[in-house]
Amino acid sequence: MKPFEEQFTAWVDGKLSGPELTAFEKQLAQHPEASADRAAAKTVGTLLRENSTAPKLENADFFNLQIQQRIAVDRPREQLREKASSGFWSWPRLFVAGAACLLVAGALFQMLIPTGASVNEEDQSPYFAQVVESWTSEPGVWANTVYNPKDNVTVLWLDGLDYIPASYQLK
Amino acid sequence: MLIRPALFTAFALGIAASARAEDKIWTAVVLATNAASPKETPKELRASLPKLKRVFGYNQFEVIGSATDKIEDKSELKLMPTQSFWMQAKARRSTSKEARGGYLLSLQLFNEKRQLVDTEARLAPGSPLFIRGPEYGKGQIVFALMIE
Repeated sequence: MKPFEEQFTAWVDGKLSGPELTAFEKQLAQHPEASADRAAAKTVGTLLRENSTAPKLENADFFNLQIQQRIAVDRPREQLREKASSGFWSWPRLFVAGAACLLVAGALFQMLIPTGASVNEEDQSPYFAQVVESWTSEPGVWANTVYNPKDNVTVLWLDGLDYIPASYQLK
Repeated sequence: MLIRPALFTAFALGIAASARAEDKIWTAVVLATNAASPKETPKELRASLPKLKRVFGYNQFEVIGSATDKIEDKSELKLMPTQSFWMQAKARRSTSKEARGGYLLSLQLFNEKRQLVDTEARLAPGSPLFIRGPEYGKGQIVFALMIE
């Protein structure tokens, strides 16, 4: 069964008939103000239909043309606004900048980070003799460290020592 | 729970320390000369011979005298490859990775009572350090040190 409000609206609009109308009018006996409400609703409906506030378009084509021209004028402004909001970082520029960053990172990696090959080269050369510091007490005698990475040999080179004749017994 | 791993670690370290205590240092006084038919190079210098030839410019290397001494951390050594040329050294275990468990030596080289040079050097096992000494006769005296 329909709710009372729905039946009431249908009754105001004159859409109830037959047994449905009879049953509803029995319910209306408990609502004596219903007839007055129905009359008021009909009056308002008639008034609204006869006195519409919407202006009547006398030249509809001209009106449409004006609307289209205004849309056309507003469109470039919107496009400009979109460009201004996207700024310097457009998609192609972002792509180029990203590629450049990757290139720089790759170059730095190659230059600064020792690769497995170079580390292995060092490991293959177990020679390690390092002169940290050296000094002589005699004037005219110098001590220099000679390290030849190619030969992998470290020599503490003493210069200015006196010549020893072969007659000197080394043992 | 932690007692067993701690004991094991201490035991392993003890074994390692006792093994390392067997390190030795070989020192030699070498006479480098040029000879028409060079003598056979001593085995201790054989691996370094091509380098020695290039660096010193001689083709014959004879060991005049050598000494092998036990070396360990914080040891003080008197190394006497010959009576006339000898060395005094204080050894500390090197902590640098390159030295591979070698030593940092504070070394003085003497010719009789005269000190020729005072130096600090890090030596990895099997990596000889050479010291170019005075010219002798028609050759050159070279000192060699190596941790074995």
